[in-house]
Amino acid sequence: MSHIELIDIKKNYLGTEVVKGISVTIDQGEFAVIVGPSGCGKSTLLRMIAGLEDISSGELRIGGKVMNHVSPDQREIAMVFQSYALYPHMTVGENIGFALALKKVDKAEIKRRVMEAAQMLELEHLLERKPAALSGGQRQRVAIGRAIVKRPKVILFDEPLSNLDAKLRVQMRTELMRLHREFGSTVVYVTHDQVEAMTMAQKIIVLHNGYVSQLGKPMQLYREPENTFVAQFIGVPKMNLLRGKLQGSSFYLQSGQVIDIGNGFTSGNDLQLGIRPEHLKLHATSAQGGWTVDVVERLGVESFVHLHNATMEQLVVRVEGDCELAADTQVNLQFDAASCYLFNDKGQRLLRKPAIEQAAG
Amino acid sequence: MVAVVRSSSEDVTVTHHASQRRAYLTLVLISLFCMMPFFWVVLAAFDPKASQFLQIPQGVTLDHFKNIFANESGMRWVLNSVVIVGSATILTLIFAGFGGYALSRTQAWWKRPLLYGIILVRIVPPPALIVPVYKVMLFLNDWINGLINQFTADVEQQQMLSRMFSFIDGYLGLILIHCAMQLPLAIWIMKTFFDAIPKDYEEAAALDGASQWQTVRHVLIPLALPGFAAAGLFAFINAWGDFLMPLMFTSSPELQTLPLGMFRAFLRVDAIDYGFLTALAVIYTLPAVIAFAFARKFLTQTFSGGVKG
Ligand SMILES: Nc1ncnc2c1ncn2[C@@H]1O[C@H](COP(=O)(O)OP(=O)(O)O)[C@@H](O)[C@H]1O
Ligand SMILES: [Mg+2]
Repeated sequence: MSHIELIDIKKNYLGTEVVKGISVTIDQGEFAVIVGPSGCGKSTLLRMIAGLEDISSGELRIGGKVMNHVSPDQREIAMVFQSYALYPHMTVGENIGFALALKKVDKAEIKRRVMEAAQMLELEHLLERKPAALSGGQRQRVAIGRAIVKRPKVILFDEPLSNLDAKLRVQMRTELMRLHREFGSTVVYVTHDQVEAMTMAQKIIVLHNGYVSQLGKPMQLYREPENTFVAQFIGVPKMNLLRGKLQGSSFYLQSGQVIDIGNGFTSGNDLQLGIRPEHLKLHATSAQGGWTVDVVERLGVESFVHLHNATMEQLVVRVEGDCELAADTQVNLQFDAASCYLFNDKGQRLLRKPAIEQAAG
Repeated sequence: MVAVVRSSSEDVTVTHHASQRRAYLTLVLISLFCMMPFFWVVLAAFDPKASQFLQIPQGVTLDHFKNIFANESGMRWVLNSVVIVGSATILTLIFAGFGGYALSRTQAWWKRPLLYGIILVRIVPPPALIVPVYKVMLFLNDWINGLINQFTADVEQQQMLSRMFSFIDGYLGLILIHCAMQLPLAIWIMKTFFDAIPKDYEEAAALDGASQWQTVRHVLIPLALPGFAAAGLFAFINAWGDFLMPLMFTSSPELQTLPLGMFRAFLRVDAIDYGFLTALAVIYTLPAVIAFAFARKFLTQTFSGGVKG
């Protein structure tokens, strides 16, 4: 068993609390991604799991055993560093086999296991090279090889793809998922890139200011964000937020525009309407539509139209295919009422009352 | 129009070449002038009729060298210098390795004050240090000789041990004083070098299951080799060239080092033997050159590719 339990984990650096009480369970064999903006404490959390950083308070269990004071090498974990940290004076083969050599594993056995890892990562022809003679992607593979050769129960990744170019990153994403399937270790993967989180994770843990903002399956976070932070963090371009007040099913923007967001919400002031760019429809009009085109990002397969209204509130609309609107064109927007989210002024999501209650009330 | 432009640009390159040639010529002359004494030393060392003038030797001889080793205590001086400076260098590297690492990794408030305090030792001119250092060494010397006298009553053994371990007029004293003089710079070099080695390597080693000693042995020392080479080279060459400390802290001829031997040979008033002196100078230069050649291999060995893509 190698599930990981974090129970109210906290971390202080000289009085400033960086990780502020995190309780999460990561199941055995799960691919969990910790995602959040830079500086939110992701690395600190991962390093506490690895044992490279003391845990200020709380309890860490791996496979049911308390690990707070167990040394890193006794935790049966491996870690892939953002910087890779390959020993530059050793060959690729020596790098991968170093952990086994330290354990005084039999030479032939080391060779066999290094070869096995190398084959998995397509590194067989590079075993005699020094890291300096490798490309970024190859170094990344060696770093992974060094982790899996130990047959760890848990593999930790700290932003492993952030040093690679965009194309290689996409390729390594699928490769990492393949390795995870073949290998079956529990994976804790840290990234600031929500695309990596969405594509790779079985469970996403969104970290914000040292707290867990929300956790769940990728599409769950996309569909049911619990707060504006998650709503805007997951999905590109991010969810549009508009301030205003709700009366019945009509949401009044500061500009005076009225948007029908459907039934079920409780009326109130100081609210935020959330809607994703893909749930907006755009109609070019000759008349005053209330929204003015700023910029159009044309990607071919889709286009992102940036708009503003009279009170300079900004919006992004996703349009299927190409869109040839010129700047300053007036357009009309159609909001998909069922896809509208409502948040209070603190950013907490407000839910619709179920239809039965609506009918009753 | 085009032709005009081209010819004018050619003019420019021509004058450029000419001025460059003049500059090179001047530089060559200056360097020849500077290297003259060195040529003289090398030529005279092998010249059977060496004189104080630069001259093309009539023949080549090794007599001057033979003379140093056969008739004088040349071998003794060389060995003394090699043993004392060599041990001091190794000791310096050990201390500088540990000290530099600690000073690089610590975040303590005394880090900066200590670093500047260390370099202060280097800033004070060595002659100014002699009196206080001599005082300390004298105190230690009495203590160690007391110990030796307790240890054995045999006078010959006492003398032998005293030569080894005395702080004044003994090998240990000279080694320690050289080490102390070279340590500040070496610590700074190592500290700066360790600053450039990311902590990630040590953490990776810890996760790979390396003990502290294994991390030092298999990761830190190999990574820091260029730093050790630089620090060791400086320590060796500085200590090798040091004249003041052996002069102050030794008196018996058995402990005489090369620079002292050379100095005393030079002072002999009867007749200056230029062949002998220049041969001695060549011998004196050689280890420094060898040390440099040895260190160069490591100095240029920069490790890249361990971190980042
Ligand atoms: N050794 C340390 N001493 C003091 N503060 C630290 C230390 N390491 C990290 N921090 C602080 O903790 C916060 C979280 O850091 P980190 O976990 O590296 O963030 P992330 O990996 O999410 O970008 C940052 O504000 C950072 O300044
Ligand atoms: Mg980080």
